[in-house]
Amino acid sequence: MHCERKTLITSVLALVSASLCVAAPQQQTVGPERSVINQFCVGCHNEKLKTSGLALDTVSAQSIDQNPEIWEKVVRKLGGRYMPPVGLPRPDDATYKAFISKLERSLDSAAAAKPNPGRTDTFRRLNRTEYQNAIRDLLAVEVDAAPLLPTDEASHGFDNVTVGNLSPILLERYLSAARKISRLALGTSGHSAGSDFVVKLPPDLTQEQRFDELPFGTRGGTVVHYTFPVDAKYEIQVRLSRDRNEHVEGLSGPEQVELMLDGERVQVFTVQPPPGDKDHHGVDMDVNARIPVKAGPHEVGVAFLNPTSALLETERQPYQAHFNMDRHPRLHSALYTVSILGPYDAQGPGDTPSRRRVFVCHPAKPVQETDCAKRIFSTLTRRAYRRPVTDADLVAPLKFYKQGLAEGGFENGIEMGLRAVLVSPEFLFRVEQEPAGVAANTPYRISDLELASRLSFFLWSSIPDDELLDAAIRGKLKTPAVLEQQVRRMLADDRSRALVNNFAEQWLYLRNLDSTNPDMRAFPDFDDNLRQAFRQETELFFESIMREDRNVLDLIKANYTFVNERLAKHYGIPNVYGSRFRRITFDENSERGGLLRQGSVLTVTSYVTRTSPVIRGKWILANILGTPPPPPPPFVPALKESSGEGRVLSMRERMAEHRANPACSGCHKLMDPIGFSFENYDAVGRWRGAEDGKPIDAAGSLPDGSQFTGVAGLQKALLNRPELFVGTVSEKLLTYALGRGVEYYDAPAIRKIQADARTSDFRFSSIVLGVVNSTPFQMRRSQ
Amino acid sequence: MIITKKALRRRTFLRGVGTTLALPLLDAMIPSMTAQAATPANPVRRLGFVYVPMGSIISQWTPPGPAGQLGDLSPTLRSLTPYKDQLTVLTNMELKNAYPGTHATSNSTFLSAVKAKWTESTDYFLGTTVDQVAAKHIGQDTRVPSMELAMDLLTAVGQCDNGYACVYQNNLSWSSPTTPLPAEAHPRAVFERLFGEGDNAADRSAELRKNASLLDWVTEDISRLQRKLGPGDRNKVSEYLDTVREVERRIQKAEAETANSHMPDLDRPAGVPASYGDHARLMFDLQVLAFQGDVTRVVSFQLARETSTRTYPEIGVSDPHHPTTHSRGNAEMMAKVAKINAFHVELFSYFIGKMKATQDGAGSLLDHSMYLYGSGMGNPDVHDHVNLPLMVVGGGAGKLKGGRHIRYAQPEPMANLHLTLLHKAGVRLDAFGDSQGTVKELLEPLDM
Repeated sequence: MHCERKTLITSVLALVSASLCVAAPQQQTVGPERSVINQFCVGCHNEKLKTSGLALDTVSAQSIDQNPEIWEKVVRKLGGRYMPPVGLPRPDDATYKAFISKLERSLDSAAAAKPNPGRTDTFRRLNRTEYQNAIRDLLAVEVDAAPLLPTDEASHGFDNVTVGNLSPILLERYLSAARKISRLALGTSGHSAGSDFVVKLPPDLTQEQRFDELPFGTRGGTVVHYTFPVDAKYEIQVRLSRDRNEHVEGLSGPEQVELMLDGERVQVFTVQPPPGDKDHHGVDMDVNARIPVKAGPHEVGVAFLNPTSALLETERQPYQAHFNMDRHPRLHSALYTVSILGPYDAQGPGDTPSRRRVFVCHPAKPVQETDCAKRIFSTLTRRAYRRPVTDADLVAPLKFYKQGLAEGGFENGIEMGLRAVLVSPEFLFRVEQEPAGVAANTPYRISDLELASRLSFFLWSSIPDDELLDAAIRGKLKTPAVLEQQVRRMLADDRSRALVNNFAEQWLYLRNLDSTNPDMRAFPDFDDNLRQAFRQETELFFESIMREDRNVLDLIKANYTFVNERLAKHYGIPNVYGSRFRRITFDENSERGGLLRQGSVLTVTSYVTRTSPVIRGKWILANILGTPPPPPPPFVPALKESSGEGRVLSMRERMAEHRANPACSGCHKLMDPIGFSFENYDAVGRWRGAEDGKPIDAAGSLPDGSQFTGVAGLQKALLNRPELFVGTVSEKLLTYALGRGVEYYDAPAIRKIQADARTSDFRFSSIVLGVVNSTPFQMRRSQ
Repeated sequence: MIITKKALRRRTFLRGVGTTLALPLLDAMIPSMTAQAATPANPVRRLGFVYVPMGSIISQWTPPGPAGQLGDLSPTLRSLTPYKDQLTVLTNMELKNAYPGTHATSNSTFLSAVKAKWTESTDYFLGTTVDQVAAKHIGQDTRVPSMELAMDLLTAVGQCDNGYACVYQNNLSWSSPTTPLPAEAHPRAVFERLFGEGDNAADRSAELRKNASLLDWVTEDISRLQRKLGPGDRNKVSEYLDTVREVERRIQKAEAETANSHMPDLDRPAGVPASYGDHARLMFDLQVLAFQGDVTRVVSFQLARETSTRTYPEIGVSDPHHPTTHSRGNAEMMAKVAKINAFHVELFSYFIGKMKATQDGAGSLLDHSMYLYGSGMGNPDVHDHVNLPLMVVGGGAGKLKGGRHIRYAQPEPMANLHLTLLHKAGVRLDAFGDSQGTVKELLEPLDM
């Protein structure tokens, strides 16, 4: 393992020393491939030098299928034109293409003759997102799994890969979650108070304007989506945001706070500065209401009444952001927390979506109870275990049901049985078993039921629904027409939003937005409103590609995006008002368009004080071109801050040192020039023509040698060879769909996904179908 | 745990963490929660590990003056001055197995002292960490053999893509080479783990019984699966069964204790405090509470995560931690990092203060504890693993001598320190990780 790491590091060095390598003497009559290899590769990649651990002089170019691991590496390096390195003699483009396609044909036909689907792990635990979605689809109850279960670990860029482990703490948490969830779903949770639920608003949320879910004529506040466990009274407590002197921020006169339940006014409270403006302790002590609420999901809204729409007069351009006591203080008071306490005077479980989902029957007489319990648990276990169930599967839930029945009646019994279902390994784990009789180390087709689960966890991050399960149980799912119809149905379903907020969020690093806090002095306008707008823009954009089934290259080149007023102001786009997001179209010379010019991507690839051409370049290599650079070598020497004559070096000058230093240059020669083309966008994604008074130089280049200026130029250069981006999208989707790292033997499958999608204009659905129809998705290798 | 006195007002503890911390109330719990096992004749030894990421500006960390008696403390450690007589600073220890220098291995080698297998997939492999070795010996008498705590609720994408699976960067504690233990950052979840769920003792007992019988069934269900699997997968299932047995053991322990317990009905912490400092102090409070109730004797706590980009506005540092550590000698950036380092130590010092103020048998909790605090990285600018910032605090139940500065001329394996702490805790072991001996200066001869 460690030698592999070394080879990666040496590969960095190799690029530098490449100029020292001499071309090997020509050998006797050879095929065209061999002569290309001899002319351009073996000067460095020979048995003696073994640059990057790769020797191509002794590997047969006739029987490519004998060494797929080596040749897939060659294909990848040549496909992106990483090799030979810029500056050394390179073949012409026709030679590149002919050579690559010869290699690919050999590799693909070998793979077709002898498929290697790889082996997904036998046991894969539902990760936290999948668990939460599965609960939603199983019980019709929304829970937030974040406080219930530990976070998942990411590998290969996704958090559904490292999921084979079951630690004691995890098991304890599953037990505890099962209890909480079944009580919530059935409304059997204790009728004592104590289920406090507190929503805290981000401290850097500006609350001077109306929010989308709240009524006109209000500003600030929030809407809390909460499932009330039983019909009862609940106490809603509202607290206002305070500064470090414990003063309510922005409170200069009376303010009115409106409390709403499902959009209807409950009460309006008036808060005002205390006499003498000294002790603010009691200002919001009375902003509480105890109200009766029916069990089930409701929306609790809190907002401030907006007394005037008069324009705010200030001496200079006002900041967008208002949350910081010293720099840009709040103009009005702001909401800090909403707490929901209760239940008090509980009246019963009420009628909720989850109870309707679970209680498929209601026993009128005690003698009917057992039969009804059986029906309830056969429905639940079938969905929860994602397969047909037998009487044997009902033994345990019914045993627990009987225990619960004896202790507290029918519903208590159902709750106990449900807890058992929720801690069953068959619910918590996806188990893929090889069928009896399969020889060792042999590819086999997975069962229809396994296929159904792979599909639903891929497209929905959740369990299959009845229709999908039925198709699988009937043995029809593997039929190509049925499979395609199911995929299209599932993509059209709302649940496919998981591809946006689970897949795309991880692929594009949108998840990092939450922990991104640009420097307040450098970017005084940054607040949580902008952070959330960034996220929403990219989510809506990705979702539009998916829902409208567009060409995935539109992710790079689309001339439209989604903005609200906050984001439009940030981008300098006029005439957009209000908090609602809407689609806008750019003209050709716009500064925006495509994913790469969205604030989200530009910000998560920056430092808090400045842009980082390195991170941006690396992001493109890893997430757009699919060729992540190796990690930096240890003992990185420091970059110089000044020129020695005391002059502070510009970013480009400092970065030039990266590329002059042999330990760094191999990769930085690839990353930095890509990153430079982004320099017109600052660390929070605003357009700029100059930095520190100097005009921006946005000249950049790609590893293939193409030169361009700015992101528009980069986009064109990327689109010149669409197969690289489409290949990366396919590879990321396949990684996510399989829950394992993609290996060299998956490369033929990825090429096939791409080639098949090309005939459908690279439509989003064609890539998804390609993944679903691929060998690694449909098959598995036995142990 | 037998809690005989009911000193705490009901439903007041940690109420409304979101708004104000009701921490002074903690003291009110003390009389009712003193562990009976901790009699003067039989002091319980407790072991803790606190991890800080990305080293420390070492010039601000290392105490001035020669080795031996600890003189004035360095700027970073200054907040520990009141506890100097129970503090030992160790200078120039190294983690050879953390190379090649990365953030992932800084974290993973810190408590394991072994090399992490270089992989991004599920075949990760490390070693049993020192806290877990201790937990297997001294943790078996308590309901929770060990607690793993952390501060980071969010997971970042693309920050552990240097070829090492995220498990290495995120998990300090490993109960086996293939079992990283997820750490808990939600105060409420920690609380429920310590004190169980349910409103009162009867409720809690009932819950425990239910969980025990659910686990019986889980065992059956897993065993049924096991029979259908190939040999490779059967090993995995055996691991799962071990986990189930461990949880069963804890439940039995808890049942026995709950039966005799008159624990006050505590209010659970409702959320996560907004400020990092408040959150960290609360996590430290929970450790004090866990020790007081003798619910656990072994703790690991990751005070921040490697490559963390957390900013610390509360101490005036709005620059993110990780990029700022790559200071390239820039004095202003180094000063900011030193400020973060000192802040972390201050939070630890708050905890040490609490431990010292909490009576335990004839002495204080601190007298009977050993806490190792430090980082697996030396100089974060170059990612090295030598001259690590390390210190040990506590009395170790009379086994530990403080007030010292131990300074090695040549780098000394940090595993020697682990081995020493294990000996102190009563764990007989000849070697740990790449240890070559023990830290003699830290040791009084062990009379066991």
